[in-house]
Amino acid sequence: MNRRLARWLIRWAARLYPTTWRNRYSAEFDALLDDIAPSLGDVCDVLGQALRVRATVFVDEWLMLAAVRPKPLRLPVLVSVTAHAVMLSFLALASWDYVTQMPLYVAAAPLPPPAPQAPPQMTDPRVFPQSPALYSSLPLGVPAPGALHLYVDDGVGINFLPLPDIGATYRQGNAEWRVWPGQALEGAIIRRVLPEYPRGTKTGGTVSVFVEYLIRQDGSVKVLRTSGPAPFTTAAQSAIERWVYRPVWFENRPFEVVTRVEVRFDSDLAESGMSP
Amino acid sequence: MKGLWYVYYVPRSTPDVVNDPELGRYSDPSLLVLASLADGPKHGHAMLQDIATMSGTRLGPGTLYGAIARLEREKLIEPLPPEDRRRPYRLTTDGRRVLRAKLATLHHFARAGLRKLEAR
Repeated sequence: MNRRLARWLIRWAARLYPTTWRNRYSAEFDALLDDIAPSLGDVCDVLGQALRVRATVFVDEWLMLAAVRPKPLRLPVLVSVTAHAVMLSFLALASWDYVTQMPLYVAAAPLPPPAPQAPPQMTDPRVFPQSPALYSSLPLGVPAPGALHLYVDDGVGINFLPLPDIGATYRQGNAEWRVWPGQALEGAIIRRVLPEYPRGTKTGGTVSVFVEYLIRQDGSVKVLRTSGPAPFTTAAQSAIERWVYRPVWFENRPFEVVTRVEVRFDSDLAESGMSP
Repeated sequence: MKGLWYVYYVPRSTPDVVNDPELGRYSDPSLLVLASLADGPKHGHAMLQDIATMSGTRLGPGTLYGAIARLEREKLIEPLPPEDRRRPYRLTTDGRRVLRAKLATLHHFARAGLRKLEAR
C-alpha cells in the first residue's frame, strides 16, 4: 500500500478518537506516523483502537466512572426521548390492559322501540282483524260455542297487536329486551286480570288503549308506555301490571320480553253488563 | 460447503504449531511498553523499534498509543517534556514495581513449564 495513502488513512482514522485523546496525543502520534512506514495493517490497527477507545469512553461515561462533562440537552434529542418514552409507556399500559382497546368500528346505537302503532280506524267495531280466530270480536256478544272468550268480559276486550319489530332486541343499560308477539306468550301466562271499565266517564262508544309492557325475567309485568284517554289507560295499566307470566326463555337463558296489546273498552256493552 | 468449513475451521483449530511465526512472541502491549522503558525514557518510535528487537512483535501505532494512554492513566509511566514533536515517556516508581512483579511471575511460570517439559 502506498505509504502516503496509508498515512492519510491513519490520520483520518485518528479523527475517530475522542477529543480528549486527540488533544493529548495527536502531536506525538503524527510524529510517530512520520517516523514509521505504515501499512494497511496499521490503518486497521488505528481504526480498531479508535473505536475501542471511543466505546470505552462511552461506557465509562454511562457508568459514571469517568469525569463526565455536562452536555446541553438539545431540542431534537429531548423531543425524540420524550416521544419514545410516551410510546413505550402507552405500549406497556396497553399490554397490561390499562388502556381500553379502541373498537374497530362504531356500532350503530340501537333504535328506540317504535311507538305503539295505532291500528287503522275501524268503522266497524265488531271486527278485530289481527286476531279473529283467537279472540271474540267486539261488540262483545254471546260467543259461539267453543270460541275463546276468556279475555272478553264486561265491556272490555284485549287484542294482541301485530308487531312490526318481532324478534328485535333493545338494550336498556345492562338489560336486553326482546320484542315478542303476545300470542306466543299465551302459553306462559299464569295470571291475567282484565281491566275494569272505568265507571263514571262520559266517553261513549268504543275506546282503544294501547299498552306496551315488559315481562321481567321473574315473570312480573311492568308497563312501559300507554296511549289513549287517561281513565282508560290507568285502568288498563293497573290490570296489566298484575299479570304474571312464567319466565320466558330463549336460547337457553331467561329473557326480558316486550310486547304490546290493545285494550278496547265498549261503553254500550259495559252499561248493558253483557258478559259471556 | 464442506470445503468452506475446512478452509475456515481447520486452520483455526489445528494450527501448525511448529511453523507458526507468531509463537515465541509475547504480545501484551502494556508489558512490552513497560519493558521497553525499563532501561530509560523513550518516545513512541524508539519504543516500537525496541519492542520489535526485544520480542519480535511489531506493535501498530494504535496499539502502542492505546497501551501508552492506559499506562499513563494508571500512573505506571509518565510523560517527559517533548523533544521537537516527539514526547518521551519513562517508568514511574509504581511502573517499575509492577514491571518487576510481572516479569518475576513470568519467569517463575516459564521455569515451571520448562521443568515439566524436561521431566518427561
